Amino acid sequence: MNCAQICEHLPEFIDDRLAAGTAAEIRRHLAGCQACRHEYETLSATLQALDAQPEAEPSPRLRENLLASIEEEKRALRAGLRRPAGQPSRMRPWIWRTCLQGLAACVLLAFGFLAGVRRASAPAQPAADSTARQLAELNSRVDSMGRLVSYTLLQQQKSSANDRLEGVLTSATLQRPTENVIDNLVSTLVLDPSVNCRLNAVEALYAHADSDVVRTAIRVSLPREQSPLVQLAMIDFLAAVRDRDAAPAFQKLSASALADPSVRVAAGRALTQL
Amino acid sequence: MIAAFTEFSVSSARAAARITPADPVDCPTPDSDHELMLSVREGNLDALGELFERHNGRLFGYLVKLTGDRTMAEDIVQTVFQRMLKYRHTYRNEGSFTAWMYHLARKCAADHRRKSAALPFAADPEALSKQADGSPWADENAASVDDRALLRNALDRLDPADREILLLSRIKELSFAEVAEVLECSAGAARVRAHRALGELRDHFLKLQRKALP
Repeated sequence: MNCAQICEHLPEFIDDRLAAGTAAEIRRHLAGCQACRHEYETLSATLQALDAQPEAEPSPRLRENLLASIEEEKRALRAGLRRPAGQPSRMRPWIWRTCLQGLAACVLLAFGFLAGVRRASAPAQPAADSTARQLAELNSRVDSMGRLVSYTLLQQQKSSANDRLEGVLTSATLQRPTENVIDNLVSTLVLDPSVNCRLNAVEALYAHADSDVVRTAIRVSLPREQSPLVQLAMIDFLAAVRDRDAAPAFQKLSASALADPSVRVAAGRALTQL
Repeated sequence: MIAAFTEFSVSSARAAARITPADPVDCPTPDSDHELMLSVREGNLDALGELFERHNGRLFGYLVKLTGDRTMAEDIVQTVFQRMLKYRHTYRNEGSFTAWMYHLARKCAADHRRKSAALPFAADPEALSKQADGSPWADENAASVDDRALLRNALDRLDPADREILLLSRIKELSFAEVAEVLECSAGAARVRAHRALGELRDHFLKLQRKALP
């Protein structure tokens, strides 16, 4: 081997990843060639310094978040609320506790209220109607509490990406979100720097696909979106709701050389679905 | 469709066989990463916790070196494992888990970078000193005699793509073939690019060392 070939093999030689014969040949060459020896020594010192970089330790928060997500996914699967490839969450235990405590208090209050009403009122209505009304009132109170929690989290401008994501995910579970909550979901979709938050906002907005505001917001955001993952979710959304006004955006994306190949394919396919 | 971002496979029987029990007689055979991920795919979600324990430190270390930003690295690690959970059905039977994980990390880091570049952000003053300094020669005056700090500075001066391939090539669990799969290029190209990046790092490193001399 000449000097150029020797140098080409030096990184593997330093890492001891060469066959014994090749390594022996390089060793012999280095013994007699000062230039290659200098190359070997400097590369070796660099790799040594690179490998000696201290290993950083991630925050314990990461583990807590993942374990909470796994638990939530398991609960959702058990309850049949989520398909296997469903959407995860990063609920932290304290947020769970806070939400559940609030909801539990709300449920107890509602039960107390309903029990009082039941006692005070004459049994004039059929039992089935009465139960249905009680359940409706109970649902209403639970939903109000959920709206409050979600809205508060979404309003926290200084909150972390995790907290913002919690707000989005909580919003997704509301049966009757207020306009403010929908506005915040749309704001998250347009402005949030976290891909996860935007992605989950798109999924949360499926529940409001009949709203012109929601469809328009997603249609307008699509060309400005940078993440292919979120772009794909937006295309899926607009195709699912058969939003014909999205056709120009789909055409543009399907022909764009700058778009991710998967996005181009998805936009082309969505065009055929409109 | 989203699976296009998470589907990944390498023809690596070697990868699947890489983790072997140290003592097959006395110890219960630990599942390989690949087996654990298959188990996650089949619904045993707790196995993802074990995968996290095995890999989060090394993945985080890689991302800290790649991005020069601990907060960003943590966000990316979190996103990677969240996506593993969410898109677990896209994991392929014949794949190497480690290569798949770094492939996901690469996609997540790219998303993060694109978004960070597109949006203005309020910098945390505390984090500024930890961030990679992208401006050319901006840290000339901050040269330290500590080789590790010099190496960190030299690493920051590399082109991001060179830094990425060099750091991937130093991960012991990844062969060049797997690095190539992560980067979606040929093994030969990965090897040549890694060597070239190492040469550039060496040049920056030596230059900084010379400047740090009294």
